[in-house]
Amino acid sequence: MRYAVRHVSELAYASPVSRARFNLRLSPRLRRGQTLESESLRLTPAPATREIQRGPYWVTTTQVRFEAPLKTLEVTSEFTIELAPSPLPQSGSSLAQLRAQVLAAADLSDLAPVPYLFASRIATMDPAITAWAAPYLACETEIIAAATSLMNALYTEFTYSPGKTSSSTPPELAFKARHGVCQDFTHVMIMALRAHGVPAAYVSGYLLTRPPPGKAKLVGADAMHAWVDVWCGRDLGWVGFDPTNNRLVGEDHIAIAMGRDYADISPIDGTFIGGAPQTMKSAVDVERIA
Amino acid sequence: MIDQGPSPLPSSTDTDLFGPDPETDPLAYYRPQAPTADFYSQSAGDIRKAWHDLARGFARQCNGQIDVLQDYLDRHVEDLGLAFRIRGDEHERPWPLGPMPILIAADEWETVTTGLIQRADLLEKVIADLYTQQSLINDGHLPAAVVSGSADFARRMVGARGDGGPFLHTYAVDLARGPSGEWRVLADRVRFPIGIGYAIQNRQALARATGGLLASIGTRSHSGFFDALRRGIGASCQRDDPRVALLTPGRFNQSYPEQAILARQLGFSLVEGRDLTVREGRLFARTIAGLKRIDALWRWITTRDLDPMNFDARSQIGVPNLLAAARNGLVLTNWPGVGVVESRAMPAFLPKLSRVLMDEPLALPNAATWWCGGETERAFVLANLNDLVISSAFRRGVVGLEDGHTRPGASFSPEERDALERGLTLRPMDYTAQEVVELSTTPALTGGHFEARGFTLRAYLTREEDGKWVVLQGGFGRVLERGDLRTSLMGLGDISTDVCIIDAKRPAPPETVLTPRKHEIRREQGLLPSQAADNLFWLGRYGERAHQTARIVRVLVDQIALSGDAGVESTTATRLSKLLANLGASRALDGKISFIDVCADALGSARLTGSVLKLIEREQRIAQILRDRLSRDSWRAVQRAMPDFVAGDIESIALACDRLVERHATLSWLLSDGMSRGPEWQFLNLGMSIERASIILQAAQAVIPGSASADDLSALLDLIDCQSLYRSRYLSMPYIARVYDMALLEPAQPRGLAFQAAKIERRLAAIPTLRTDGMPERPLRAARQMRARIDGLEAAEIGPMTIQGLREDLANLSEAISERYFLQADDTDQTRTRRLF
Repeated sequence: MRYAVRHVSELAYASPVSRARFNLRLSPRLRRGQTLESESLRLTPAPATREIQRGPYWVTTTQVRFEAPLKTLEVTSEFTIELAPSPLPQSGSSLAQLRAQVLAAADLSDLAPVPYLFASRIATMDPAITAWAAPYLACETEIIAAATSLMNALYTEFTYSPGKTSSSTPPELAFKARHGVCQDFTHVMIMALRAHGVPAAYVSGYLLTRPPPGKAKLVGADAMHAWVDVWCGRDLGWVGFDPTNNRLVGEDHIAIAMGRDYADISPIDGTFIGGAPQTMKSAVDVERIA
Repeated sequence: MIDQGPSPLPSSTDTDLFGPDPETDPLAYYRPQAPTADFYSQSAGDIRKAWHDLARGFARQCNGQIDVLQDYLDRHVEDLGLAFRIRGDEHERPWPLGPMPILIAADEWETVTTGLIQRADLLEKVIADLYTQQSLINDGHLPAAVVSGSADFARRMVGARGDGGPFLHTYAVDLARGPSGEWRVLADRVRFPIGIGYAIQNRQALARATGGLLASIGTRSHSGFFDALRRGIGASCQRDDPRVALLTPGRFNQSYPEQAILARQLGFSLVEGRDLTVREGRLFARTIAGLKRIDALWRWITTRDLDPMNFDARSQIGVPNLLAAARNGLVLTNWPGVGVVESRAMPAFLPKLSRVLMDEPLALPNAATWWCGGETERAFVLANLNDLVISSAFRRGVVGLEDGHTRPGASFSPEERDALERGLTLRPMDYTAQEVVELSTTPALTGGHFEARGFTLRAYLTREEDGKWVVLQGGFGRVLERGDLRTSLMGLGDISTDVCIIDAKRPAPPETVLTPRKHEIRREQGLLPSQAADNLFWLGRYGERAHQTARIVRVLVDQIALSGDAGVESTTATRLSKLLANLGASRALDGKISFIDVCADALGSARLTGSVLKLIEREQRIAQILRDRLSRDSWRAVQRAMPDFVAGDIESIALACDRLVERHATLSWLLSDGMSRGPEWQFLNLGMSIERASIILQAAQAVIPGSASADDLSALLDLIDCQSLYRSRYLSMPYIARVYDMALLEPAQPRGLAFQAAKIERRLAAIPTLRTDGMPERPLRAARQMRARIDGLEAAEIGPMTIQGLREDLANLSEAISERYFLQADDTDQTRTRRLF
C-alpha cells in the first residue's frame, strides 16, 4: 500500500520571538516493511542551521536554529511511503516466558525491548492502573491475547472525548476520569503493560484521512495519531495495538517514530525568547495512491 | 583572629591514686557496649595515643568541662556560615558538627585508598563502555535492564564522546567500617561529590575551635586535593590558562551553600544556566565585559536539566545546546549520564566487572548485593528475606516499597510480604537486596560525655593533571543517631564530624603551596557574570535604602519628640511621613494613623515592601546568591537580624534606628574593607550611590514641596548630617537656597547629591568597556550629563521642577546601567514546550 502524507503546521506569535531553536520530529524513521519514496521537510522562513539526528529512541529529529526574530513559522512535512502488508501475528509466548526473555535480551539499541520496560517521564507507574489491568495480564496468558483483551477493556470503558485533556494532562488523571484522546489511551495502555513486566512503546504516526468506500473513518484521522507497540517476545517482536480504535495496527497506520512516551517524540519542542505562540494550526492529509 | 578559647590549665598529672582524672582524660571513662566493635577500643599504639591526646587536649582547653566545646564549635559553625537544607526546608538549618573527629591511622587509610582508586578506575571503565561499545551488555556481563532501568542513563550520550577525555573527574564514595575492622563500600556517587564542601568546612571549624591540637596529633592536611582538582580539570581543557565555571541549579538547591564554598575555594565562577549561552558551538558566560568563553564547566545540575534542547525540554535551569559545546571541546564534568553506575543494582555486578575489565578482584568489597532480575538471585533473596535489606533497584516507588525507601526484609508483615513477592514476580528487575551492614562505633561527644555511635564516612577522589586519582586525606564523617543507614547526606539527628588521617610517626609537614609551572603573577579580576553584577548592584541599593529609611524614621522620631504624636499640625512630621509613604515604607497618613504608627510601619511592616524589615530580607536573599563573593565577616554582618522594637514605644523605635544605622555602618565597612577594588566593588558602590542620590532627591521633594519652614529645612539637614556644619557656617536659621546648596550642589558633602554624582561617574569610568574606539559607553555618558547639570546649577534657581528633572536623569542613568551591564529578560533563553498537534 502506498500513501502520500502531507502535514502542515503553522505557528504565529503575538510579538516576534528571538533566538528560537526547535526540535522537529516529523520525518519518518523507517521500520521494517516501510519504504520511503520521497520526503521533504520545508520551513518558512528558512532556519539558519539545520541538523538531523537519529535516536536516542526510534525517531528522526531535525534541530533547527533561527537567527532572525520569528513572527510566524510554517512547517510542511511531506512524504510518500510504501507499507508492505503485515501478516496477522501468530500467538506468542506467555507473559511469564516473555518476562524472562526481556531480561535475557542483551541489547540496548533503539528497537530493543529493554529501553521500553521502565517508567518514563509521562508514563510513570500508577498503582490504580496496575490494579485495573491485572485481570487481563495474568502470568499464563498468551501475550497477543492478553494485550488484545487489555485494549478491548480500554476501548470499552473509556470515552473518546477531544478537548477534555491536553498534552500536559497526566495519564493517571485521564484514567481516573475514564476519558481522553489517543495520547491518553496510549499512555494508559503502556503503563498497564510495563507494570506487568511487558515492554511497551509510544508510536506516533498517521491514519488515512478519507476511508475507502464502505469503510468507517477511523478516529484520529484528521491529526497526528498515537498507538502502542507491544514487545511480544523474541519471535514476534514489536506488534502494534491501537486502543483508540480497538484494532491491531495494520496497513492503515503509518508510523513515523517510537519512544517511551510522548515526551521522547513530541513533534515540536524547543526554546526561544518571548511569549508562547498565540495560534497553532495543524492540518493533516493522508491519501492512498496507486 | 583565631579564637583559642580560654587559656589552658597549668599542667597537671594525668593520673593519681584514684585512676585517671575524668577532667583531664575524659576518654579513660569511655565504655562502649561492644568494645570489640569500637574503633577507639580496638586501637593500639600510636593511634590510641592520638585518640587520648586529642581528648586530653579538648579537656585542657575547656578546663575539664568538655561540654562547652560544643558551644565553641557551634559558634565557629555559625561564623563560617555553614548551613544545610533538608528537602522541603524553606530556611537553611545550622550545621550539626560534633567536636570529636573520627581518627584513622595512616596505614589503615592507605589500604582503603588503594581500594578506592581501583574502584574509581573500574567505574570509569564501566561508564566508558556503556557510552561507547556497550560490549559489557552485548557480551552478557551486565544485563541491559541494569543500565536502562537507571533514570540517570542518558541514551542521548551513547557515542557522543569522541575526544577520549575522562568521564569522571571527581568521585565520592560512602564507606562503612565493620565491627572487625573491614571496610566496605556502601554507595558510589559520581554525579556530584556532595559533602565535599562541608568536609573542608568541618575541618576549618574544628581547627579554629581547637587551635593547633589537630596538627599536634599528626593529622594530615587537606591541602593538595583542591589544587589537584583544579589542575586536573584544567589539564583537560583546550586552551592554556582555561576559564572554569561551576554550574549551580540556584540558591534553592539543597547543596547550594557548599557549591558557593567550593567555587570560592577553587576560584571557579559560580554561574547559573541563564548566565551562559552557546554560540557557534562554544560556551560563553554573559559578563559585564561581554561574552567570555568558558573552557570547563563543573556541573552541579542533573543531566536531565542540563540542556533543554537535548534532554528535558521543560528545564528552566539548563543551557540550550550545551551538548554542542561539549562535542566541540568544552570540558563538561562529570560527563552527563555517569549517574548510571549509582543505581543500587550496579554493586551486584562490580566484583565480576572488575575481573572482566581489570583482570583483578575488587580490593575493597562493596556490601554484598543481589539484583533480583536474575532468577537464582531472586530465589536466594526470597529464601533469605529476613536476613537482608530490600531496596528499589532504581530508587523509584515499586510494589511493596511504595516510597522507594530501603527496608529490612524482617520488617515486612505477612501482607506486605505478599505484595513484595507479587512485585518480584511481575517486575523482578526493580528490586535489589543487600546484606545487613554492621558498623563499628566511634566515640561521639554529646552533652559532655563520650558515647559509642555507629558511623559512616564519605571519601572523595579527584584526578590530577596526569589523570591519576588523588584521595582527600580525610572526609565527611557521619555519626548516626540510630543504627539505620539512610541515603541522604544527613538525616535529622545525625551529627557530622571531621575525619582525621593520623600519621603519628611523620607529623604533618608544613603545608607547601604547589605552584603552577609558570610563576606568573596576575592582578586581573575573575569573571563578573552580568547576573552577579546585577545582584551586587542591588545588594548595594537595598542595603542603602534600608539605611536611609532608618535615618528618615530617626528624624521623624525627633520631630514627634518635639511636637508630640498628637500634634498632627506639625508640617515637618507630615512631610517626613509622606516621604516614607512615597518610598513604600509606610501607609499614607490619614486620620486613623499616627506618626508613631508610620515609624513602626517603616521599620517593621511585614506587608509593605519598602519597610526596613522587608528591605533587609531582600538584602539577605541577594547576599545568599552572592555567597561565593562575600567575605566571611561581611556574610555574618549581612545575616544579622533586624533589631527588635515595640510598635508603640518611641524609645525602642529610636533605639532600633540607631542599631540599624550601626548595622549598616558595620556592613559597609566590612564590605569595603574586604573587597578587592575591581568591578565587583564598583557595582556594589554604584548601587549604594544611586540609591543615596535617589533618596536625597525624593527627600528634598517631599520636605520642600515649594515652601518650607525652618523645622522642615532643619529636618532635611538632619537627614544629610549637616546640621552642625550649617550652624557653624551661617549662624542663623536655615534658608531654602542654602540647604539646597548643601544637599544637592556642594561636592564636599558625602550625603549630598553632587558628591554621589561624582562618585558614580568615577565608578563607571573604572568598569571595563566594550568599545574599542575609546568612546565612553552610554551609562558613563549619562552619568557625565547628570554631573554636568548639577555642576551648572545655582542654588537659587532650584525648584521642584529642577529636582524632578534630576530625578529623571538619575532614572535614565540607572536604566542605562541595567541595559548595558545586566541580563535582560531578552537574554535568558526561556523554554517553552507546546503540544502542537
